[in-house]
Amino acid sequence: MSKEMLLMLHPTFGILAMIAAIWVFVDTLNVSDANVGRIRSMGVLCAVLMWLTYIVGGYWYVVNYGVDKAIIKAGPWGFSHSFFMETKEHLFFLVLMLATLLVIAVQSNLARLSGARNLVLWVSGLVVLSALAMEGAGAFISMGVKVALLAKTL
Amino acid sequence: MDITQSTHENSDSAGVTATAFGLSYAVACLFNAVVVILKETIPAVHDGMAALAGHHWVAHGLLDLIVFVVLGFVFARTSLAHMSAKALITNVVGATVLGGLIIVGFFTLA
Repeated sequence: MSKEMLLMLHPTFGILAMIAAIWVFVDTLNVSDANVGRIRSMGVLCAVLMWLTYIVGGYWYVVNYGVDKAIIKAGPWGFSHSFFMETKEHLFFLVLMLATLLVIAVQSNLARLSGARNLVLWVSGLVVLSALAMEGAGAFISMGVKVALLAKTL
Repeated sequence: MDITQSTHENSDSAGVTATAFGLSYAVACLFNAVVVILKETIPAVHDGMAALAGHHWVAHGLLDLIVFVVLGFVFARTSLAHMSAKALITNVVGATVLGGLIIVGFFTLA
């Protein structure tokens, strides 16, 4: 697998994790004994996908990002590294821990404990919002590379 | 299996384990932001973290996860694990917003 394809797995896993979090959110709004098992399964799936996002993206960042970073910093969109990448790489830890917390939260008795339901709704909602922010920041970083290369060739 | 269920729980509880790890998440959020500021402003901290795990970002993630997991187990043994879900959610959301704003603010001003 090429390293570019490996990089593409990062946002792919991230989007799938976000969809799983949305699933948990919606199913929890309609929780009953019938769907508690599905909520737990989707919570676990969300965390697994988020951990894969972290591992794949982290590998890329540590091993390959240095080249992209140099290109971005030499181009007109230096802020896509100095702000978006720097912020993204540190905020991602929150998303990862939120997804892990979601696995723990969905193990509670959601059908009986209203407090547990509210926690799952808030945590899954935060996963969705923060994952969207990560995807947006990733788009800025990709565009930072693109405009730097375009500026070089034009 | 409900791993968080106990005889102390009422409907306003999120469960002992979920509450404990929710609180540890809140602490880890703020810890994460503090480490960002420390390693970005003190070169010795940055270099020490890089030496610890080969890359400062890898060490940073490991430290966050250690705080999250260890404090989760510690809080589960304390009365904090029995706080109301409303208070827990306030802590979780508040720490997420505050931790996020500290990092965004730092890199905006940097």
